[in-house]
Amino acid sequence: MAGVFRDVFLFRDYLRMKAFFLLVSLLAVILYLMRIFKVISTYPPSFFGVPSAANLLGGLLFGVGMVLGGGCLISTLYKLGAGSTASCITFCGVLLGGFVSAVFYPLIRSFASSTAFLKDKTSLEHIMGSAAAPVLLISLPAIALAWRWAKTGRWSQRAYARGYLSLWKASFMMAFVIAATVALSGRPLAVSTGFAKLSGFLGVLFLPVLTGKIAFFRVQSPRLLYGGIMNGGAGPVVDSVFLTQFPLMAGVVGGAFISSLRLGEFKVRRLPPARQAFSAFSGGVLMAAGALTAGGCNLWHMIGGLPVFALQSILFVFGAAGGAFLGSVFLRKVVIR
Amino acid sequence: MERTVEDIVLDIRGQICPACLLITLSELNNNKERLKGAKARMIVKTDHRDATRTIPGAAFAMGYSVSVVQKDRHYEITLEHEK
Repeated sequence: MAGVFRDVFLFRDYLRMKAFFLLVSLLAVILYLMRIFKVISTYPPSFFGVPSAANLLGGLLFGVGMVLGGGCLISTLYKLGAGSTASCITFCGVLLGGFVSAVFYPLIRSFASSTAFLKDKTSLEHIMGSAAAPVLLISLPAIALAWRWAKTGRWSQRAYARGYLSLWKASFMMAFVIAATVALSGRPLAVSTGFAKLSGFLGVLFLPVLTGKIAFFRVQSPRLLYGGIMNGGAGPVVDSVFLTQFPLMAGVVGGAFISSLRLGEFKVRRLPPARQAFSAFSGGVLMAAGALTAGGCNLWHMIGGLPVFALQSILFVFGAAGGAFLGSVFLRKVVIR
Repeated sequence: MERTVEDIVLDIRGQICPACLLITLSELNNNKERLKGAKARMIVKTDHRDATRTIPGAAFAMGYSVSVVQKDRHYEITLEHEK
């Protein structure tokens, strides 16, 4: 997903951007239909609160981080599964960033609450006064445009790697898989709290006294899951986050491992040049800081929140686009010269 | 008499995304004269599977012919200027 914005800024390549908008638009329509037919009950989801400057700032940090880190949290996981040493460095950066950001959690929450606005509005449908309006005015025209691109051959770009899936096909498949997980689990996919929890587990191992004092690792909040309520948080305990996000993370790494083995591509890759290694690590730290500041990573906001027009997520996307621009400039001028 | 074509080998395995495309574009530019004069061809070694989409796409738009083969857990992308 890092490439959605980065490829536009660096190469004027809009293919990933188009695939991303197709995915979000399809999801918006499917989730809206699921709401009408009462497959999902909480809508707009209670998971997305009122917007604040923290969503924008977090998105900005995350955007810089995902460009410098060579990919977002999910792509870091699947590249790790395929043997990428650079992604392993990014992964370590995310874990350290999660721990350091946890120390500043009270400050971040205070910033978020003091800059919150639109006190009674969490979604675009609250502003437009109708749930159907954003779907009709934004999602359906976007799908129609994608259909027109398909008819004029503007989706085609040949890839030579075995097993390569066209981006538009990937968008369709992901839209239905993600909608199915929302219907089954009752909440959007997420991994950022899982990463923070992993930092917490490592903190307990190596710095138990300090970890015990960090408030962020003690916070447990009720979460809607599988139609019921279960507590969850970033603390190093078995809870709803452990039971949902750890299997997702392990599944992405394991799936990429099996897939790369099957395609004859798995190999523990060589180390990247020092400048790129530093970029990957810093990118990981920034992604963790951004996700904690924004209240979620790109998976949560761009795949979970944007299709339900959550205002927090819209701000996150604007921030991430700005961050990706800054990251692209830094990458080109400093990291890869 | 048969002309010899020099191979410019660019080994970018292990590098972060999107270094593959940025470095390849830069090297194509640095070796433009030799490549356009058909005195050389560029062979890019990459283990980044998305590079098999992005590098051929960009190179083709610049007038290069492209061939890609998978070799021992990486890809070799050969770029030659079309005559």
